[in-house]
Amino acid sequence: MRVQLFATCLGDLLFPAAVEDAEFLLREAGCAVEFPRSQVCCGQPAFNAGHRGAARRVARTFVSAFDRGAPIVCPSGSCTTMVAHSLPELLGCEPYPVWELSAFLHAQGFVPPARNGGRRLAYHDSCHMLRELGISEAPRALLERSGAEVVSLPRADLCCGFGGTFSVRQPEVSVAMADDKLGGAHGADALVTADPGCLMHLRGRAQKARFGPPLVHLATALARGVPE
Amino acid sequence: MTELAQPPGRFREVAREKLADAHVQGALDAATNRLYGLREAGWAGLDDVEELRERARAIRSATIADLDRHLADFTRAVEARGGHVRFCRTAAEATEYVVEVCRRTGANVAAKGKSMASEEIALNEALEAAGVRPVETDLGEYILQLAGEHPVHIIAPAIEKTAEDVAALLSAVEGEPVSAELEELTQTARRQLREVFLTADVGITGANFGVAETGSICLVTNEGNGRMTASLPRVHIALMGMERVVPTLADLTVLLRLLARSGTGQKLSTYTTLFTGPRRGDEPDGPEELHVVILDNGRSNLLGSRYEEMLNCIRCGACLNVCPVYRKTGGAAYGPVYSGPMGAVLTPLLVGLERAPSLPHASSLCGACTAACPVKIPLHELLLDLRQDLAERGLASRVERLGFALWSLAWSTPLGYRLSTTLARLGQPLALRAGLAPRAWTAGRALPRLARRRFRDRR
Repeated sequence: MRVQLFATCLGDLLFPAAVEDAEFLLREAGCAVEFPRSQVCCGQPAFNAGHRGAARRVARTFVSAFDRGAPIVCPSGSCTTMVAHSLPELLGCEPYPVWELSAFLHAQGFVPPARNGGRRLAYHDSCHMLRELGISEAPRALLERSGAEVVSLPRADLCCGFGGTFSVRQPEVSVAMADDKLGGAHGADALVTADPGCLMHLRGRAQKARFGPPLVHLATALARGVPE
Repeated sequence: MTELAQPPGRFREVAREKLADAHVQGALDAATNRLYGLREAGWAGLDDVEELRERARAIRSATIADLDRHLADFTRAVEARGGHVRFCRTAAEATEYVVEVCRRTGANVAAKGKSMASEEIALNEALEAAGVRPVETDLGEYILQLAGEHPVHIIAPAIEKTAEDVAALLSAVEGEPVSAELEELTQTARRQLREVFLTADVGITGANFGVAETGSICLVTNEGNGRMTASLPRVHIALMGMERVVPTLADLTVLLRLLARSGTGQKLSTYTTLFTGPRRGDEPDGPEELHVVILDNGRSNLLGSRYEEMLNCIRCGACLNVCPVYRKTGGAAYGPVYSGPMGAVLTPLLVGLERAPSLPHASSLCGACTAACPVKIPLHELLLDLRQDLAERGLASRVERLGFALWSLAWSTPLGYRLSTTLARLGQPLALRAGLAPRAWTAGRALPRLARRRFRDRR
């Protein structure tokens, strides 16, 4: 099956290895992966800050880059939500067949390589993925099929505090929310998330404060396994 | 109205204070976790919570869409049962009317049931200025009145106070030490307040709902103080936001099934009372006069706007309890009256966006509020709409507007994206050495480094 990979700006610029891992998983699942080279960003940073004009200018690049003839797969719950729920309204265009990576792999019945035997992994539900897309089972099921024990976080419903521009408008609150999330994952071999935004924020906090488990993108956890 | 306005920067300032206060953090954590669990359990006890939420939403939306008619019906029904109704456009009109009733009654003391509308119009200050002593009779509100503070939660106003805090406040009234044991605290407050109920000339309550069919005021409390406030003093004044009308008793039952369950997880609160008119000739008790003050105070701004759905709010507090931001900041950061997601939406709409510009951004847009709202108000989407209004009305900062304008120009083509991100990568080490790292990010977090080879360069 042909799929189009949407790397997202954060994936492309900060976490290229995670996007490579996503591509690897899609190939393993039997997909012919295309990377439309003219892709840029879905426009979400401006959209969620209320700047629709700016968001529209950037979001139009998505329309020129992707077609509707094959599934678009994206290693970010939040960008998937933007494309699925907000882009049609923002640009007045038809919806796109867009999938968050783990939901797509799970729907294909994909069994990831057994690289996480004996690992205890905590999974952080990113907000848009959980509440707007309703995806919570797929990432956990994939992690379990890779051999991991998925441990639950206390109050898994709580946001990690990233929230786009919120993270710099209210940095103290944002960081306090990250501390709760990292504290809740205490004892796990890694805290896994499917969103580059949460990953950037939580990893940045864990590095600065020197606490919490390693932060790993879901695609990396599945493709390479979490080191012991 | 100055009470509600929230200058920019204030949210962050108060949030920092609260975050630094371990005592408040502990209280917030315990209370919000408990209330979160109680609501989950309360909803789980319903056969089909989604169907009920949908019915409640439909009732609220239909009522608001035809609000004039329902308010007219309600007014006629109250008057037919001997009550007086006064519609007040502004906070000043409402406080003047209440003060006038107190003056005519010759009131020295007014017992008050819990009412967020009275906080909104700063009624206590107006009464004091007129020589009437208002005494809060809801335990939480009473504690805050003793402390000289504003409520920090719409249904649990003193949520940040511990038993020790309360003991200290009640001891000051008693003139002797009161232990922090819950039963003693309750008994002490009960004794102090009983005096007030028996001596007050006027009782002032809020109104959870006004039923148009019967002209009844529905009051929901857990302490029974609302019932005492409304029935013991000679005059009862009920203060009701104009959106709180429900057409029929049947509609009311739908909302009541959700109200307490969503706030505290209870099937019904301990006291759910319907007051219909003042005392009638052959009745042994009840007030001689009933006045219903219906408050607009900016609510009509919402009618017919994209924010109209905010008027569906039944003030259950569920959105505060689930909000990951509220559980860190507490209520004061949002201003003295409405807090949490409902406050972040409602306050700017009541006072004008330019007077509370930081509130729409006081959220990570995680959507937990929308998922917990019993009448399905899309709170996080309304916050996003308010952010758009801020940007479109030129109320966003110049740095922000310029930043997004430049960013969107650069990223409107693949070439611009590649050039700008290459430049950013080359410039990043220099900028960091020059101390140009964005403090707001780096004060608490390591700055992510741009990858030497982007994903697109690797294929």
